[in-house]
Amino acid sequence: MLTRFGDIDRTFTAMDQLRRRMDRLFDEYEPARGRDALRGNLADEAERSLFRGRFPRLTLSDAGSSLLLRAEVPGLSEKQLQLAIHQDVLTMSGERSPDAPEGYVVHRQERTPIKFGRTFTLPCKVDPEKSSATLKNGVLTVTLAKAPEAQPRQISVKAG
Amino acid sequence: MNNEMQTNKREENVPEKLAQRATVVPAVDVFESKDELLILADLPGVTKDKLEIHFAKGQLTVEGHLDDFAPEEVPFDYRRTFTVPQGIDAERISAQLQSGVLRLVLPKPAALKPRMIEVKAG
Repeated sequence: MLTRFGDIDRTFTAMDQLRRRMDRLFDEYEPARGRDALRGNLADEAERSLFRGRFPRLTLSDAGSSLLLRAEVPGLSEKQLQLAIHQDVLTMSGERSPDAPEGYVVHRQERTPIKFGRTFTLPCKVDPEKSSATLKNGVLTVTLAKAPEAQPRQISVKAG
Repeated sequence: MNNEMQTNKREENVPEKLAQRATVVPAVDVFESKDELLILADLPGVTKDKLEIHFAKGQLTVEGHLDDFAPEEVPFDYRRTFTVPQGIDAERISAQLQSGVLRLVLPKPAALKPRMIEVKAG
């Protein structure tokens, strides 16, 4: 029962092609857009896959004593957004009211979804009491103050 | 050796490319009624003063500039071009920007509106 090299090679080529077509399929469904498309800071593939293809697009950066979260939520008002923090897990959910006018023919509809929810783990524990969020021009900016134990600390170097 | 000399010459003739900001295509919805075309575009973070709308030769271009980026982010602008049917009057296009959503209304001239053609019994 000899397996010919040619067969193995063809199998892998076929699998490779299938994988590439699946990748393209997902890209067509929701191409990388907005801040996600040009994210240079998330070099980690695992982290990037967390954010790909989800609404709302967001970036999370470390500002020393606090974490800065920015989410793109065009067309939403404060009433339509909910933010919940539990220790170091953040949940952002909401509902975008559909604004398709009645009786119009739809040529293209890319601005979806209507109900959304995203949950992810923050890099450190945050203090919800000291955190604040503002919504302006469709961008939600959340300043999450780091919990006291997670604050950066200076370590003094003594000459030895 | 000939190949080398040729490539060098080609590089000299190509003009310097200006450093351009990366552009991102915003998500849009396009609707049509018998009286108008309606375009809704997601432009989060763009304010009225940073928005440019051009209409020339049947092409409508929407450009939104952003200036608020974290240090590690790559700056970009929003940009999308639409081909609109001939006959749309640029003067009557109206735009509204609210909560990061741009609403463009393109009224159709009478020529583009669907017309009922009466069938007379003969």
